[in-house]
Amino acid sequence: MSQDPVKAVPIVYTIRGCDACVKLLQKWDSEGVTYDERRVELSQGVLDEARKYGSLVPIVVWPDGTVQQGFGDSIGCFL
Amino acid sequence: MLEAMTVVTPARFEQGLSYADFVAQAKVNRDKFEKFYNDPALTNDDIAFFKKVATLPAGPAKILALGEDWCGDVYRELPTVVRIAEATGAELRVFRRDENPDIMDEFLLNGKSRAIPVFVFYTKDLRYITRFAERSAGAHKELAAAIAEIGAKLGLPPGTTFATVPDATKPMFLQELIGQITPRFPDWRKEAIQEMRTLLSTALPAAAHA
Repeated sequence: MSQDPVKAVPIVYTIRGCDACVKLLQKWDSEGVTYDERRVELSQGVLDEARKYGSLVPIVVWPDGTVQQGFGDSIGCFL
Repeated sequence: MLEAMTVVTPARFEQGLSYADFVAQAKVNRDKFEKFYNDPALTNDDIAFFKKVATLPAGPAKILALGEDWCGDVYRELPTVVRIAEATGAELRVFRRDENPDIMDEFLLNGKSRAIPVFVFYTKDLRYITRFAERSAGAHKELAAAIAEIGAKLGLPPGTTFATVPDATKPMFLQELIGQITPRFPDWRKEAIQEMRTLLSTALPAAAHA
């Protein structure tokens, strides 16, 4: 296959203990959004990867390269 | 009274992790914990204050810390409290927030937020003295002021909070906010120490003269 499925969906860097992250995933799940979740709290490698894009989770990297940080009513959690 | 309802019994306190075990079990940020342990932001005057307070009859002899290794506020502040415990001989026990929701529920910020770190100071026989949560009051005020300032800069109405920033403006708003507050972190660490001193001085009047 020529298409890279990982690049076809947004990548979201999360911490499951972060309320803003949990709320974003709940919203996407309710909307049927497909995403590639990368849990920052489980791996230094993933954390280092997330820090290349920002300092506040959730960090969303859209397929077009656009990066968004934070979600919802709370600012989010600093890495 | 807090003591009558607390889940932090002597037996439970002893179940907390030592700092060494907490860091050894950390999946992330071990380098950050080491960095801030080696640069704890405590002055000699701070150390003298905490040592003096620890000698008071009802002074702090045990410290409970709630934290998670992924949290920036925790890796910046916890090593400082470790240094305080080491200097004073206080017994420090660290509890992971998400594995100890009952303890977290007892120390919610403003009664609703599971903000960390939390540092709870106890006497030798585990009587509650006071606690510090997340950041200093000054840091919270600065954050609120920064949000207001950035809101004005971006043409948002007065009284804007992060929750009311339009979704389309949030990325730019956050970029501004992160750029503005990140350089303040070193001073916020010092303010956290000052706030812990103030909290102890208020809870233990004799400490005000320490």
